[in-house]
Amino acid sequence: SPVECPDQEIGGTSCTISAEKLLDRAVQHAELIYRFSEEAKLLFDELLDLFGGMNQYIPGGAVCAPKTVPVPLSKSEIQQISDRWLLHSVLILVQFWIEPLVNLQKSLENYKSAPIGLLSRNQWIASKLSSLEEGLLVLIRQILGEGGLVLGPPEDVSDNTLSVDAFETVRRDYSVIYCFRKDAHKIQTFLKLLKCRQVDRENCSLF
Amino acid sequence: VSPPGKPRLTSCRSPEKETFTCWWEPGDDGGLPTTYALYYRLENTETVKECPDYKTAGENSCFFDKNATSLWVNYNITVVATNALGRNISEPVEVDVVYIVQPNTPENVKAVVIHEDRDPFVKVSWDKPRTADTRSGWITLHYQLRVKQEEDKEWVEYDAERQKNYNVFSLHSDREYMVQVRCKPDHGFWSEWTQTTYVKMPNYIPRERSLWIMITIFSVFIVFILTWMLKVKHNSVKLCLLPPVPGPKIKGFDKQLLKSGKSEEVFNSLVIPGFPPTTDYDDLLVEYLEVYDNEEQELVLDGKDLSEDSMKSKSPSDSDSGRGSCDSRTLLLDKCMEGSGNDQHNYSQHGETSWASSSECSESQGSPGSPESTDGRMKTWPVVFSSPQPHHHYQVGATKPAYHSVPEILKHSPSHAIPSNYHQLYLQDIPPQEGRFTKPPCRHSQSYNQFNMDNVDISEAGVPPSRSLEYVEVQRVNPENILLLRPLSDPNREPEGSDRIDEDYSKVKEVTSNNTLLLQRETSHQVVNDYSQDFESYADQCTAQQTPHPCKPVMTQLHSQDMRVMGNGYVDTTVLMPLYKQF
Repeated sequence: SPVECPDQEIGGTSCTISAEKLLDRAVQHAELIYRFSEEAKLLFDELLDLFGGMNQYIPGGAVCAPKTVPVPLSKSEIQQISDRWLLHSVLILVQFWIEPLVNLQKSLENYKSAPIGLLSRNQWIASKLSSLEEGLLVLIRQILGEGGLVLGPPEDVSDNTLSVDAFETVRRDYSVIYCFRKDAHKIQTFLKLLKCRQVDRENCSLF
Repeated sequence: VSPPGKPRLTSCRSPEKETFTCWWEPGDDGGLPTTYALYYRLENTETVKECPDYKTAGENSCFFDKNATSLWVNYNITVVATNALGRNISEPVEVDVVYIVQPNTPENVKAVVIHEDRDPFVKVSWDKPRTADTRSGWITLHYQLRVKQEEDKEWVEYDAERQKNYNVFSLHSDREYMVQVRCKPDHGFWSEWTQTTYVKMPNYIPRERSLWIMITIFSVFIVFILTWMLKVKHNSVKLCLLPPVPGPKIKGFDKQLLKSGKSEEVFNSLVIPGFPPTTDYDDLLVEYLEVYDNEEQELVLDGKDLSEDSMKSKSPSDSDSGRGSCDSRTLLLDKCMEGSGNDQHNYSQHGETSWASSSECSESQGSPGSPESTDGRMKTWPVVFSSPQPHHHYQVGATKPAYHSVPEILKHSPSHAIPSNYHQLYLQDIPPQEGRFTKPPCRHSQSYNQFNMDNVDISEAGVPPSRSLEYVEVQRVNPENILLLRPLSDPNREPEGSDRIDEDYSKVKEVTSNNTLLLQRETSHQVVNDYSQDFESYADQCTAQQTPHPCKPVMTQLHSQDMRVMGNGYVDTTVLMPLYKQF
C-alpha cells in the first residue's frame, strides 16, 4: 500500500516501490471498488422496490453527464490521449467522488430501514477510495516527476445543501450510487490501459 | 386492415466494447406493408438520431459502428412501426454499452493427451475471440471450460480465470471425452460455448489404482503375519480367550499316583479312618486258598490208600463212599488246624490226638486184670521162638494174629465140647465177620493211616514215646520176675510192645484151658475187640454222613451179641462192662 512510502510528502525522497507494482495495486483497488459499487446499486434498487419502485423517484432515469468530469467517451479518442492525461483524469475522478460518498454514508444512516450490507459496502468503498488517491499521488510523482501535479484543486460541483424533501434526498442518493458506478468503471479501464502501456508484453491480460 | 402492432426491442449486445447491435421483434403488420425505424437519444443531449445501419446485422436489427458508439453514456432507444394507416412506437430502453458486452466464443480449441511421470492428463488450450482487444487492456476476459463423456448427462466445469490453457486430471482410462470453452469480460455476459472438441483417453492403470493395489498387498502381508503369530501362540491365545475349567478336587486324592497306575495307594487315601481295613479280607482269602492246597495233598494220599483197600475188598462202590468219608474227616481236622493258625501246630495236634487214643487203649486193656496179662506173657515167648512165620504175620498186620490164636486153641483143647463150642462160635462169627470185614477194611485202613502218622511222629520224636510204653509194661513185670523182664525188654522194645498186646489176648485163652469157663472168655475178648472196632466205625459214619440208616444195623448187632452172652453168665457180665466203658 502507499503507506510503505511515509516520506512521500517530503521533497527529494525516492520510494523503493516500482511503478509497475504501484499500477498493479491501483488496478486491484479499482476492480474491487467497482465490484462493491455494483453490489451497492443492486441493494439500493431492492430498497426502492420496497417503497414503490424506481419510477416514483427517478421517472426519467438517472442523468450524470452534466455534473461529472468530462472525459472522452469513445475508444478511439481514449486511445489517443497521453499517459499524463490518463493519470490526471483518474486522479480527478477519485478526488471528485470522495466527498459525495461520505455524504451518502451520512444520508443512508438516517434511513429507517437501510440494509446493513449497503451501509458496510459504502463505508468500505469510501475508505478504499482514499487509499487509491494516496497511491495515485505517489504514482504520478514517479511517472511524471515533480512537475506532474500542476493541476489546481478540483472544482466542487456537488450540491452540499441537504434537502428537506425525502424524494429529493432519495433521488440524489440514487444518482450518487448510479453515477459513481460508471465512473468507477472508467477508473478501472483507464488504469488498465495505462498498465498495458507501461508493460511491454504481447498479451497484457496475462498478468 | 389496421395500423401496425407495437414492436418490441429484444436485446442489444456489444462484442468488443467498441460497437454494438440491437434487435427488435415486429408486431402485427395490420395486413399492409410496414416499415420499421430505430431512433435513439443520448442522455446528455436532446438530439434524436436514427439507426446508422439497418443491413450489417441482418433483418430487424440496427448496427452502431465505432463512430456512433459512446461509452459510459445511456442510449434511450425506441423502435417505430409505420404503415399506410398509422404508426406505433415501442417502449423505450436505456442501454449503456459498457454493461452489454458479450464477447464471441473462443477459437482454436485443442485437447491433447500428455504422458508424463504422472497419470496421463488432457491439456486444453484455446485462443481469445478475434474481435476482443485484450492486448491494450481495453477488455479483460475470463475463461471457463467443461468436460464430460458422451453418455453422461451433466458437464463438469472448470474455471481457468485469465489463462488460455488448462490441464484436466483424473479422467477415466480408455474413454472418449467432449470439451467446450467460453469466456466472459470483467463486467458483462458469458459468451456462447464453443463447438465440441473430442479427445480419447488411452488405456492405462491410474496411479491411484496402483496405489490401492500397493495398499492391498501391504494389508494382505500384515494379515498373513498376524495369522502366523496367532498360530504360533495358539495355546497362549486359547488360555486368554478360553481359561481352563477347574476340575473337581477330592480331598486326599493323589492324581500322580493314579497316573502312575498305583490304584491301591490312591484308594488308600480315600479310605475313611473308622472303616474296617480291606487288607484283612485279602489276607483271610489268601490263607483259605493255601489251606485248600493242603487238603488236596491229603486227598491224594487217601486216594492211594483207598486203591489198596479196593483191591482187597474188590468193590468200587465202597471206594467211592470211602473217599467221601475221608474228605469229611480231613476237612474237620483242617478246620481245627485253621483255628490254631499254624501248620506245625497242626502236626503236633495230630500227635497229641494219637497219644490220647493210644493211652485210652492201654488203660482199657490194663483195667480187666493184671493176672490175665501175666499168663499171656508166659505163653507168648514159646510161640515166638517156635515159628518164624508168625513174626512175618505180626509185621503184616493185627488181623493175622487172630488166626494164630485160633489154631493154637484148637491144638491145645482136648475136650469135644469145647471144640464144638468153638466151631459153632466160629461158624456163627464168620458170616458177620465177612460182612464186617467188608466195611471195616476202609475203617481199619483209615485207622492204620492214623497209626502210620503216629509212627512217623514217634520216630521223629525219638526216645520219649518208647520209654513211656516200656515203663508201663516193666512196672507190671518187675513185681513178678525181675531178671526175665529186664533183659527181654532191652533188645526188643518196640516189637515187645506190640507182642505184649497180642500176648495178653493169648494168656486169657490159656486161662480158659485151665478152666473150661476161662477159655470162653478169650473168645469173648476177640468178639469184644471186633465189636468195639465196628461200633467205632459205625459211630464215625453216623457223625460223618449224618444218616439214620447206619444206626439201625448197630442196634441189631448188639441184640444178637446180648443173646449169646446170656448163655454164659460170667462172660456176659465181663463183656458188657468193657463195652459200656468204651461207649
